[in-house]
Amino acid sequence: MRGAAALLAGAAVALLTGCAGAAEDDVRAVTTAFEDPAGDPADRCAMLAPATRAALESDESAPCADAIDQLPLDGGEVTAVEVWGGDAQVRIGDDVVFLTETGAGWKVTAAACEPRGEAPYDCELEGP
Amino acid sequence: MSSVDEPTYGFLRNNALSLAFGGLFLATLAGQAVSGTAQFNDQQVANGLEPIGLAGYVTSSSFMVDVMENWQSEYLQFFLYIFATVWLVQKGSSESKEPGQEGTETDREQVVGRHANADSPTWARTGGWRTTLFSRSLGLLMGGLFLLTWAASAVTGWVAFNGEQLGQRQDPVGFAGYLTEADFWNRSFQNWQSEMLAVGSMAIFAVYLRQRGSPESKPVGVAHADTGQTG
Repeated sequence: MRGAAALLAGAAVALLTGCAGAAEDDVRAVTTAFEDPAGDPADRCAMLAPATRAALESDESAPCADAIDQLPLDGGEVTAVEVWGGDAQVRIGDDVVFLTETGAGWKVTAAACEPRGEAPYDCELEGP
Repeated sequence: MSSVDEPTYGFLRNNALSLAFGGLFLATLAGQAVSGTAQFNDQQVANGLEPIGLAGYVTSSSFMVDVMENWQSEYLQFFLYIFATVWLVQKGSSESKEPGQEGTETDREQVVGRHANADSPTWARTGGWRTTLFSRSLGLLMGGLFLLTWAASAVTGWVAFNGEQLGQRQDPVGFAGYLTEADFWNRSFQNWQSEMLAVGSMAIFAVYLRQRGSPESKPVGVAHADTGQTG
């Protein structure tokens, strides 16, 4: 009985979080490619959410492809992936990356983030 | 008491109250889905994110928690009211029994066991655990539905809360952690308080005010002090 209840709760959470398994793989792949310092800047810029890309270009007064190399995005091993509905968080190397699901797949909304306790992460790259 | 002269009506007329409220429920749920999608998308656009469609919204935790948090409070209201009115009275209220009648009453008054009629439900006649259970089945169902919908409200609220946390660049929390969050308790209490107010005010307003023709009210000319009459 308790097993059945746990199974039902698990199924409910999986449904609500959007079948987390497949989404986790997608999120992990996007983050790994985005954080790869050797990756093509144009490809990495295409992985940004539009508002985040616009914020980067505005802050740096430069095209994204030029500005993205200036950010401390060093890649590394993915140690944790959290997917909740259309939002995700990935811990990769020393960085924490936030993503959102769009019609064109998962896009990065924030990266190069430092924790600030209970307060929101302090991110060098982020949208509104 | 049924009578052989009792007129018979069609299905629609016999079930008009349940059908009307069933239809109103579906219409208002659809209204919540449409207005909720618009509100959700206003927030998405403000955050520089993509809007979602109606189907995406009604399968999201944001919609489900908004529905569940209201359902749980309605079932809590009926569960508490059904049990409270066994033991507590309000003199003069059509919602109450007469003072002095507090409690579960006798088998004769409740028409159970050997006092049951030929047309009494089977479980009211058989005695034993079946009659004990059937005698409390309405309250137990309401209590059970409250616990189920409150649990659903907790799970959907947890998923929605963690989505919001990530959207605000904050860490998600575990389920036990969510149960200690202000979000969960605020959603619960803000719904509970309105149900308690509605029940309490109905009990006392029904003493002094009337609605001609409604069984929720006393007959118009009945004295304020007269308890338990409906008309």
